[in-house]
Amino acid sequence: MSEANKETLKGRSIKMEGVHYTLHTPRVEDLENLYFVEVDPTICEGCGECSHHCPTGAIQEMNDGTRHIVDQAACMNCGQCLVHCPYGAVAERVSYVGEVLEKLKDPDTVVVSMTAPAVRYALGECFGLPVGSYTGGKMHGALRRLGFDYIWDNEWTADVTIMEEGTELLQRVKNGGTGDKPLPQFTSCCPGWIKFCESFYPDLIPHLSTCKSPIGMLGPLAKTYGAEQTGKDPKKIYTVSIMPCIAKKYEGLRPEMAASGHRDIDATINTRELAYMIKKAGIPFRSLADEAPDPVLGMATGAATIFGTSGGVMEAALRFAYEAISGKSLLDPSIKAVRTDNGINKVEVAVPGFGPVRIAVVSGLDNAAKICDEVRAGTSNLHFIEVMTCPGGCVNGGGQPVDPSVMEASVFKKMMARVNKRFTMRKMA
Amino acid sequence: MKKGRWDLSRRSFMKATGLACGYALVGARMARESAAAVLDMVGLRQASVYRSEADSRIYTYRKSQDNPMIKKLYATDGFLKEGPCGHHSHQLLHTHYTDKSRSIKALKKRGITLSL
Ligand code: SF4
Ligand code: SF4
Repeated sequence: MSEANKETLKGRSIKMEGVHYTLHTPRVEDLENLYFVEVDPTICEGCGECSHHCPTGAIQEMNDGTRHIVDQAACMNCGQCLVHCPYGAVAERVSYVGEVLEKLKDPDTVVVSMTAPAVRYALGECFGLPVGSYTGGKMHGALRRLGFDYIWDNEWTADVTIMEEGTELLQRVKNGGTGDKPLPQFTSCCPGWIKFCESFYPDLIPHLSTCKSPIGMLGPLAKTYGAEQTGKDPKKIYTVSIMPCIAKKYEGLRPEMAASGHRDIDATINTRELAYMIKKAGIPFRSLADEAPDPVLGMATGAATIFGTSGGVMEAALRFAYEAISGKSLLDPSIKAVRTDNGINKVEVAVPGFGPVRIAVVSGLDNAAKICDEVRAGTSNLHFIEVMTCPGGCVNGGGQPVDPSVMEASVFKKMMARVNKRFTMRKMA
Repeated sequence: MKKGRWDLSRRSFMKATGLACGYALVGARMARESAAAVLDMVGLRQASVYRSEADSRIYTYRKSQDNPMIKKLYATDGFLKEGPCGHHSHQLLHTHYTDKSRSIKALKKRGITLSL
């Protein structure tokens, strides 16, 4: 890219994988005033599909029939409105892609990639591979070709999360949920859910695990442990979080995410933006050989990759808790009962030497509200609750490639919506 | 209409209506291609996660505590030698949360109704 091009890239709006993005690198101070997602009223046809998928009711109808997010405070940044809009009218307003491309070219900056589990189950779709294809090996290869200096992986910190969050759970159980560490314990890896709890159920904050999410852990570990292991100056390390998510952009900007003495997470992009970068660089993604991440902050287990789907964090935590409590080896790691595609799934898992561990897996924030009401009322006897904002988990995140059939099926709806919009406008006139 | 509900039946129905029209407009071939894409995308991605997870060519271990790089991190001479939830872990890996209900109350005062 030429110098001139680089300049014009900033603040410009570009389309990546069918979604409009504004290239904008925000500042931490702006966090609570930022709109990560916005409806473009010139594209919106007023069909209301977005409102139907919004968990808080933040996206509402205007006088002219178009939709609009009433206030950033009401928006959990999940992007479910965006992935369901048949017209591509919902845009992202924060994109670090311009800055990431600059950093990749700067020989003085050590750029590291930190990829979430779910990215590798959807990235291939952008390159014509069948839906759900596993492309972890190709993804790491593509990141190396893009010029990332270290290929680290959030799956490794998903394993760290299990150690930390599992140990925290055992402590809470041991203390009988007394004091400032009550039971049930809620998972804390989903930033949509965290903002939701802070906004609508602040009284339940003590129930949230104090653990950061896997990316919240990899950022500071990269600039401390990673710097130590590679002999690099942490000041020169630029950490790029690569997520299936939009809310992770919000999380990366939270003021407290500076435990390493630097900003822990310098940039956050999502699956669509990574696909755009790979295509722009002309990397032949489909024919890449499988590559592994750099092991020290990259090697991971099956328990880590399942973080990308609803029930996965729970299953991974149970594999740890079972062995830690009983001292026995869990012969079959598959705990299929907790796997959840939607809704609320309550399960009891018998652990030798303890009895039943009572858990719930919750997919979608409308369901989270129901569980929160139970906990608030004191009628819940659960030990541990997993909450994911996106129905089905992060594989269905707001930063993932959009289902092409959402658009394809819209031929008819598009006509109907146009008629409706005109009708509403006529009524107003 | 209930807000914030995700149900497959509605989603499939919406796609189906769109597809029926697609059929009429552009003929059988394209509509058939679209029909294949209607297969639940989320379910396919979830199934793939569980397939890879149990595939020892991709993941040698299936429990976090068995990961050699986790053992290295928490080893007695490792970076987090106090073990999980130790002092160093608390500094780097744990956090706190902020009550944000005031801004929601402010919205309600402005007459904005949310779904909860
Ligand atoms: S991003 Fe999520 S919370 Fe925000 S308006 Fe869209 S659907 Fe609603
Ligand atoms: S479920 Fe996953 S993709 Fe969706 S908001 Fe939460 S972390 Fe992001």
